[in-house]
Amino acid sequence: MIRRYWRIWIQMAQMSLQAQLAYPLGSFGFLIGKLMRLFFFFAFVIAIFRHTDTMAGYSLLDMAVFFLTFNLVDMTAQIFFRGIYGARRAVSDGDFDFYLIQPCSPLFRMAFTTVDFLDVATILPVLLMIGIVFARLPAGLGLGRYALYTLLTFNGIGIAMAIHIFVAGLAVRTQELENTIWIYRDIMFMGKFPVDIYGGAARWVLTLVIPIAVMVTFPAKALLGILSPAWTVYALALCAVFLAASLGFWLDSVKRYTSSSS
Amino acid sequence: MIRKYWTAYAISLQETLQRRSSLLMDRVGGVAIIVSLYYFWKALLGTKPSFLGYSGEQMLSYVLVMNILRSFVFTGRGWQLVGEISSGRISSYLVRPISYHGYTLALDLAQKTVHLAAAFLEVGVLIAAIGARVYLPHSLSTWLLFSVSVAVSSLLFFFMEFMVSSLAFWTSESGGPLFCFELGLQFAAGTFFPLDVLPHSLQKALAMTPFPYMVFFPINIYLERMAPAEAVKILGIQAVWLAFFVWAATAVWKLGLSNYSAEGG
Repeated sequence: MIRRYWRIWIQMAQMSLQAQLAYPLGSFGFLIGKLMRLFFFFAFVIAIFRHTDTMAGYSLLDMAVFFLTFNLVDMTAQIFFRGIYGARRAVSDGDFDFYLIQPCSPLFRMAFTTVDFLDVATILPVLLMIGIVFARLPAGLGLGRYALYTLLTFNGIGIAMAIHIFVAGLAVRTQELENTIWIYRDIMFMGKFPVDIYGGAARWVLTLVIPIAVMVTFPAKALLGILSPAWTVYALALCAVFLAASLGFWLDSVKRYTSSSS
Repeated sequence: MIRKYWTAYAISLQETLQRRSSLLMDRVGGVAIIVSLYYFWKALLGTKPSFLGYSGEQMLSYVLVMNILRSFVFTGRGWQLVGEISSGRISSYLVRPISYHGYTLALDLAQKTVHLAAAFLEVGVLIAAIGARVYLPHSLSTWLLFSVSVAVSSLLFFFMEFMVSSLAFWTSESGGPLFCFELGLQFAAGTFFPLDVLPHSLQKALAMTPFPYMVFFPINIYLERMAPAEAVKILGIQAVWLAFFVWAATAVWKLGLSNYSAEGG
């Protein structure tokens, strides 16, 4: 079964790549824009640290870990769940009816129908920068911290996946709410910085309600050795709850679906 | 003559208000950015009385005023223009007894009206919620200079975006360059960070482009970080850039029209 889904994903990825290569100028423009956003923001943070040594108790290196972890989680979700951005259109155009009769999970079909190769190209410099930053971290952090960082990063991607599944469920259930995913994207902007900088209420919302802190700040904190075991357990439990709830919501939405198109 | 553009403005205003979910989405994005940057600068300032020559009040006001300018200056019709040229829908406007520039400007103004009102509301709520202290200019002339500067910035963006979007006359892939242009512009204009954080050489290089004159310098006029004579000089430079881009956008538009062809109905 995994092999079959892998083949389907490869097939859809190839089609996405061909579609993007069919518009070289447009794709190149978007790629340059994404790289520009990444480098400009990073350059500004570096420029700010020319005038100060710490911010909210964090050094430039710490801030780089937070910023790059945000990009890693955010871009990975972009690469793999890009199809959700077209979920409402798939429902209103009737494509979703076809997904339902295909011998493949309709959620898988919807989420992975588009693979954003522009983000694949953008994530490479992020990985390179993470390598450079990690090399500058104090020696002797221990493998345990890197392992926990990796685990919590995947945990963050899992929560991002759950949010995308919720949005797909909403699209199937309401045939509207095209903008929900963009609201998520906009709120994700707040994850560019460690959530400690935000005021009390905002910090709690970002940790408990829209768990951007758990997705992007927690992995970085774990690596820096400032995340307590209790928060680590909370992060893992939250991901499990989010995934279970989103899958339940999705299945219920599909069960209620009565076809909205021709 | 002006009545038809006024009608277009009124219809577009109703349309913008009717598409509430799109409006909400745009605004949520703006609020997330403003809250992030507000707390970022607050954390950076910490207990310091000033940073880069900005007092705490001025720095936080930079972020709040920036949100208002983003709403007024950077709402444009570029993506719609790209769509209309690529799909051929623009043909129907070309045969009407209106100027397409004037018509688009009327639609743009309607959008700006709604977004500006929303931005004021957001900033007001934020100020009330977190008790932010806002810097208010002391002199009436500052208000006047700032208002004129913002109006010119808005027109400057309109014509710059119009020029870049007109690339759609030659290629159906002009969305990429437009995306790139809008992102680069926002960083170079000082929309995310005051340009003072950059090295002096880079600041000087940017000052030779039109970008800092769209957000960074207008906010500095508002914050009274420059003498009135210097502010007038900034307005002069803005006017020169505006004249250039009006000419360039019109020239590209004319060239594009001569290149444009549409089949079918």
